Amino acid sequence: MKDLEFSTKVLHAKPNKDDSQRAIRYPIYATAAFDYATSQDIEDAFTMKKPAHSYSRITNPTVEFFEKKINILEDGVATVAMASGMAAITNTIFNLVAAGDNIVASKYLFGNSYSFFKNTLANLGIEVRFVDHTDLAEVEAAFDENTKLLFVETIANPQIILADLDKLSAIAHDKGAVFVLDSTLTTPYLVHAKDHGVDIVIHSTTKYISGGGTSVGGVVTDLGTADWTKFPILSKFHGLGSMAFTARLRKEVYRNLGSALSPNTAYLHTLGLETLALRLKQSSQTALEVAKYLQKSDLVSKVNYAGLETDKNHAVAKRTFSKELYGGLLSFELQNKETAYKFMDSLELVRRATNLNDNTSLIIHPASTIFCEYDAEERAKLGVSEGLIRLSVGLEEASDLLADVEQALSNL
Amino acid sequence: MSIQVNINGNKDTITQELTVAQLLTEKEVESPEMVSVELNGEFVERKSFSDTVIKAGDEIEFLYFMGGGA
Repeated sequence: MKDLEFSTKVLHAKPNKDDSQRAIRYPIYATAAFDYATSQDIEDAFTMKKPAHSYSRITNPTVEFFEKKINILEDGVATVAMASGMAAITNTIFNLVAAGDNIVASKYLFGNSYSFFKNTLANLGIEVRFVDHTDLAEVEAAFDENTKLLFVETIANPQIILADLDKLSAIAHDKGAVFVLDSTLTTPYLVHAKDHGVDIVIHSTTKYISGGGTSVGGVVTDLGTADWTKFPILSKFHGLGSMAFTARLRKEVYRNLGSALSPNTAYLHTLGLETLALRLKQSSQTALEVAKYLQKSDLVSKVNYAGLETDKNHAVAKRTFSKELYGGLLSFELQNKETAYKFMDSLELVRRATNLNDNTSLIIHPASTIFCEYDAEERAKLGVSEGLIRLSVGLEEASDLLADVEQALSNL
Repeated sequence: MSIQVNINGNKDTITQELTVAQLLTEKEVESPEMVSVELNGEFVERKSFSDTVIKAGDEIEFLYFMGGGA
């Protein structure tokens, strides 16, 4: 049989153990603990000699099935689901880096990731070297013998700056580091990370994967490309070969930090995966229409969307994105903050909210919200102007969304 | 000719030199699609199960990484 396509893989993946009732929809195992027939069975489960769940902070059948589906889509060695996208990032970093090590990371990051790197890790003796990841010479110069990993996002927002994954992975590998990618905005549907030299791929599943903002979660997938014997922090697990990263993660870092995803959330995210491709197609197509419309307006000074042929990221996107779809997130600039607020407050369909990749279109003014802790000079350096607006395009019909944007612009 | 090995810390006998894949069948190992195999302290990649031969005196561990993947 031919290789299955994305949605077919999602729908027909099998759980590790069939449900005892053969339910079409794998059930929610809402339990903390699992029973054993004998004391020996418990010992065998704890020592990994029997395939059995013991405690839902470590593994749970519903969560495991969600992890397995993600792992199939990414063609990974193993996937661990987490309580949030930030849990996925923090667990990954703690699993690979110790005091005295350093990380090279893009300066264009989700605000909470930036805060974790800049503040939390600094207090633990881990240096993060922030770079403009579009300047490859600057990236290369930031590495030294203590650099353990390079961290970027596929699409940094609100600026909508793409990462040239092939070139960045080559630099990281040449320097003996691993390449960690936050692919939240692209999901495995738009970017198949393993094809571009990524070693560890992370998603905040809260966004597209959850079904469209239904609940909070994250995933970490080891794509099986790294040589973990180069990581002394994993030395206890080196005998496990390609499972070394996941073994330490599952049996130490994730377990001890208490980062487990709830089985109820895993159920929602599994449902979300089933419609992910459909929703991404729709929102990507609508986003392109909206971007083209905005580009024609005299009131809009700039539109950032990689699907536009005139966008500076379009060539990288064409090489990196697998479906000629570019996601549902775009940003654009109006004259100033007052104009931006007036536009946003005039919208009748689009909601003002901080999430993205929901099924409902959402809009936000980044300078006054996500970047409110930065001063004006820092915001300017990061390309977050006072007139910049971020629009996450949902699943409304394009004609309705365009009409709403048109009437809001007409009020300016 | 049967040979002696150690499986999960216990002495065991197998009918002849077998590959890891054949051993999983002979020992009726539970959930063979999920099991990871350690041979003399080294992890055997799944793609090598059919090529890796078990010899007399080998120490074999069957391990299960619960969760997605492996």
